[in-house]
Amino acid sequence: MIWEVFRQDKPGAYHKHCGNVHAPDRELALQFAAVQHGRRMKTHSLWVVPHDEIGEIDADETSFGGTTDKTYRWATSYTDIEPAAPEVAESEAEQADVEKSLEADS
Amino acid sequence: MDLETVKERAGPRQFAPKDDMPEEYRKAATRMIQFHANSEVMGGYLEKPFIRQAPSIDRKLAFSAKVQDEIGHAQLLYRAAESLGVKTRDEMLDELARGEGKFLNCFHYPMESWHEVPMIAFFVDGAAMHRQATLKNTSWTPYAHAMDKVCFEEGFHVKHGESILSELMNGSKATQEKTQAAFETWWPRIIQFFGPTNDKSVHNDFAQEVGLKTKSNDELRDTFLDTYVPKAEKYGLVVPEYPRIEYDEELDTYHVNEDDLNWDEFWTIAKNASEGSHEQINSRSQAQAAVEWVRESMHSWEGASGAGTPQAAD
Repeated sequence: MIWEVFRQDKPGAYHKHCGNVHAPDRELALQFAAVQHGRRMKTHSLWVVPHDEIGEIDADETSFGGTTDKTYRWATSYTDIEPAAPEVAESEAEQADVEKSLEADS
Repeated sequence: MDLETVKERAGPRQFAPKDDMPEEYRKAATRMIQFHANSEVMGGYLEKPFIRQAPSIDRKLAFSAKVQDEIGHAQLLYRAAESLGVKTRDEMLDELARGEGKFLNCFHYPMESWHEVPMIAFFVDGAAMHRQATLKNTSWTPYAHAMDKVCFEEGFHVKHGESILSELMNGSKATQEKTQAAFETWWPRIIQFFGPTNDKSVHNDFAQEVGLKTKSNDELRDTFLDTYVPKAEKYGLVVPEYPRIEYDEELDTYHVNEDDLNWDEFWTIAKNASEGSHEQINSRSQAQAAVEWVRESMHSWEGASGAGTPQAAD
């Protein structure tokens, strides 16, 4: 039986999928997960879930939306326009910082 | 805290809701922030029809995002004003709906064609941002916090507005002429954005003494002209002969000859008493009525009475 494992590195953070374990029951699955997925990296908590209990819907079955290109919302997109004033340049720089941190997260 | 202490301590982000502020300060700050919030609403409503009239899908998306931002700015500002304990957010919105709430002079004029759009979206937004950047240092901390968020977003607005101007001024000769005509109509209003000269301003001194404002009308107007006159010229716009704008070589700054501007019109507008004032206030009221069914259906969702007949939104 396959169990999917989700690891949380610190309190309040998301549990992120990190792999799976093979085990006959929940008790052993938790033990295996702790050994295989909790030791090597800083771990605060693990969720262990029977693989068959996870529901899935994918892009072939439905259209998710959420992919709309929103680059028009960023000052940084208007590359042919030089910022008119220092305060415009400052706003653009703040936006560029946020864009960078979003890229680093993904 | 007494007024003398306020004036002594006045500085960027010096005062917050935990401080016991004198009534004069709270009233002056409420008047200023409420005016700012009202202007965000009225500017949003003035621009809203151009979501529909935008000439391309890119412009439509960007313009709709911008209008949404402006209404969001109004919400932030009403919250900042509310924190002074003088008026509630609902009271301020009611005053605006009744035609009592004051708002920026530029939003009392009708805007009819796409050629006029950059006059608001570039020049008025540029002027607003120029002023707002200095308000990050206002003494009322909630106001300064609102400015952080507003200025973060405005960079996109101003660049997008400039992008529209650039497109129009690189268009056909007819397009360029219409844009120039729009510029000539709007230019004096844009200069009046910064209000009357310091000696004629009613609230200026007090607002500066208690740190609500950090720059005078004159300083802001002159530095705005320094940046935006060359920008207008770069795109081939010709700055109208009147109001006369003079370059002061000694101070390296532009000055406007105030006597060339129509101050009767300005003060009529300041009282919400011009024809355009009524038009803009009524058109917002019609738009509000047209989407009343949305509010009603949201109320009924929360357990109140049912919805009326749906109407077109504009």
